[in-house]
Amino acid sequence: MLKLTTRRFAATAACAALVGLTAACGGSGSAKAGGTVTLTYMIWQDSEKAAYQASINEFEKAHPSIKVNLELVAWAQYWSKLQTGAASRNMPDVFWDHLAYLPQLAKEGIVTDLTSKIKAANLDTGVYSPKLLAQWQSGTVTYGLPKDWDTIATIYNKSMLAKAGLTADQMNHLSWDPATGGSFVAALQKLTVDANGKHPNQPGFDAKHVKTYGIALEAPNGQQDWWDFGLQNGCKLQDKAYGKWTVNTPACVQAIQFEQDLRDKWHVAAPGSETNTPNAASLPQILAKGDAATTFDGDWDLTSFESAMPAGSWGVSALPSGPAGTGTVFNGLSDAVYAHTKHPAEAWELEQWLASPASEKLVADSGTVWPGIPTLNDGFAAAWKAKGVDVTAFRTGSEGTTMGYPLTTSNTTFNTIVLQDFNQVWLGQMTPQAAADDVNSKSNAAITSDN
Amino acid sequence: MEAYLLIGPSLAGFLLFLVVPIIGVFALSLFSWDLVGTPQFVGLANYRRLAGDGAAWTAVGNTVYYVALNIPAQTVLALLLALALNRKMRGGKVFRVLFVLPWMAMPVALGIIWTWAFDPRHGAVNHLLSLVGIAGPNWLTSTTWAMPVIASVNVWQYTGYTMLFLLAGLQAIPEQIYEAAAVDGVSAVQRFFKITLPLLRPSMFFVLITNVIGSFQLFDTVFVMTQGGPGTSTTTLNYYIYQQAFQLFHAGYAATLAIVLFAMILLVTAGQFLYFRKRTVYDFS
Repeated sequence: MLKLTTRRFAATAACAALVGLTAACGGSGSAKAGGTVTLTYMIWQDSEKAAYQASINEFEKAHPSIKVNLELVAWAQYWSKLQTGAASRNMPDVFWDHLAYLPQLAKEGIVTDLTSKIKAANLDTGVYSPKLLAQWQSGTVTYGLPKDWDTIATIYNKSMLAKAGLTADQMNHLSWDPATGGSFVAALQKLTVDANGKHPNQPGFDAKHVKTYGIALEAPNGQQDWWDFGLQNGCKLQDKAYGKWTVNTPACVQAIQFEQDLRDKWHVAAPGSETNTPNAASLPQILAKGDAATTFDGDWDLTSFESAMPAGSWGVSALPSGPAGTGTVFNGLSDAVYAHTKHPAEAWELEQWLASPASEKLVADSGTVWPGIPTLNDGFAAAWKAKGVDVTAFRTGSEGTTMGYPLTTSNTTFNTIVLQDFNQVWLGQMTPQAAADDVNSKSNAAITSDN
Repeated sequence: MEAYLLIGPSLAGFLLFLVVPIIGVFALSLFSWDLVGTPQFVGLANYRRLAGDGAAWTAVGNTVYYVALNIPAQTVLALLLALALNRKMRGGKVFRVLFVLPWMAMPVALGIIWTWAFDPRHGAVNHLLSLVGIAGPNWLTSTTWAMPVIASVNVWQYTGYTMLFLLAGLQAIPEQIYEAAAVDGVSAVQRFFKITLPLLRPSMFFVLITNVIGSFQLFDTVFVMTQGGPGTSTTTLNYYIYQQAFQLFHAGYAATLAIVLFAMILLVTAGQFLYFRKRTVYDFS
């Protein structure tokens, strides 16, 4: 019964009231002491912290007068923290930026346009993947330099695959269709086992006591599940970048229905009660516990699978293809420079370093994340090969049909309504059509009436 | 004059940290603000929006439902515990400490532990139920069970704390009254309803006022265990305010909702004051 909200709220309000008088609600994240400038660099992924700390150590060696505090804030709190930080002018100098939030940050004038700095420094932006760089540009402005990229692939438990008589090569060539389920559902049926060792397509299968599900699908907004099924079914989430949402079109609804069917009709996917945010275990944990044999996940989680599961016990394969072919979400992050940082010159130095081939190589070669500079991709693949994991599927996915993150100013509304409604869809308490209609109308309303 | 000087420091704190923010929130409720840009004055538009916002009224309903689940259970349990511990028994002090322990623990940590316990597949609760042949439901992902689970976690956490106040109240009742009643041949049940309960009123008054206010402000358990879901089944008004302010960045509208919560609590508290004022309160001090 903590009065957390009211208190925080009151603090923010009081802060707003006082800002005019004192202009001092929380100091800036940076400080200057004895000629040394201290910058704050905020990130959200715990599994990437070590690699970025190593990169920062290099940076500090080359820039003795700049100290960098690496601050880790979990994704669930990250954007609230940024927004309240911006309100109280207590912001990190440099921070990870995501396309889902970029339009809003840009609109609010929180992120620096780097165009003139890139020009003055004579930076060669040709080294970056053009697809990635374009996402951070809008007209003549550039809000970040590509730091990394990610796609979604299948992660599987090797011994369960062997027990079901499936090969890694078969896993790379699965396909689905909404009517029969295709070879994808057939494979998942082999992988799904109830307490008596029966499969869902056998008589006497007990759907209430399943020991291992063929697949666990979990994503608070859809990036690792129904967006990908949607793309494989020809669904477009928006009519154009910054345009209207089109989530309730037949191709999208059919894809969502297919995912609901995986749970409720075919009984091959873990039910919503086990995969819904916020109570679900993480995907690496679900696989490690043996609750599911496969899952769809992004490469950012590879190190989590590595620490959760015994070495050599898991592998990576391509996503299945659907009626419209293959497809995965393709996304990437960049570092943003806070527009009102007290140390713009030092922050730009850090931004440049983090996006430099030297730093991206260091991070990629540690197997932490695919780099924004394509020529360094091999380093990431080699790092995982050395650990016995073939991560080619992520790269193949990025070279095939992809969709970028939806660009919109209504992202926060979209995320909130999707989480609310899709949790019920995966529990079988709401139809895909009703959820899609609701998400669509509320998110579209938020584009025009957003305050 | 001297009196004013003496209360000066606390009065300044009261004004600066309570009155000013309340006025700030009220002023904010007349604006549209995304926490970063310039607030736009919109007059009563946020209040008009509230009238047509079904989700807000669902949140109000959920909050009332939670209070109705939480307060009676917590108060009755705390009273029973207090009555038991008020008897002279071996190890009474140990039990007193044990019952208060949950209150001393961090709500967020408890929320995480209870989420594990209520996990449908690997949780302790369903495991224990299965031992007696009951297939437990998917507690926190069921729109029917999520709120009762959250209420029970809070009852478990705060009953010991409530019990402390009631126990103190019980111990303040003079022994002679019971002795006199015993001489007059009053039965145990009558003693409880005619003596104990009426004389416990000051404690009961305090406990009910503070617990009801606290219940209306439920946030942390919801934040940790369900984030308002499944669907909107555990979205309390306070959680909805958080969502509007810090997830959707509708600070002005969130301020409007905060005013509504404030008014609701004010009304209910005033009602409790009136109810207790009509009844005699005995003072033995």
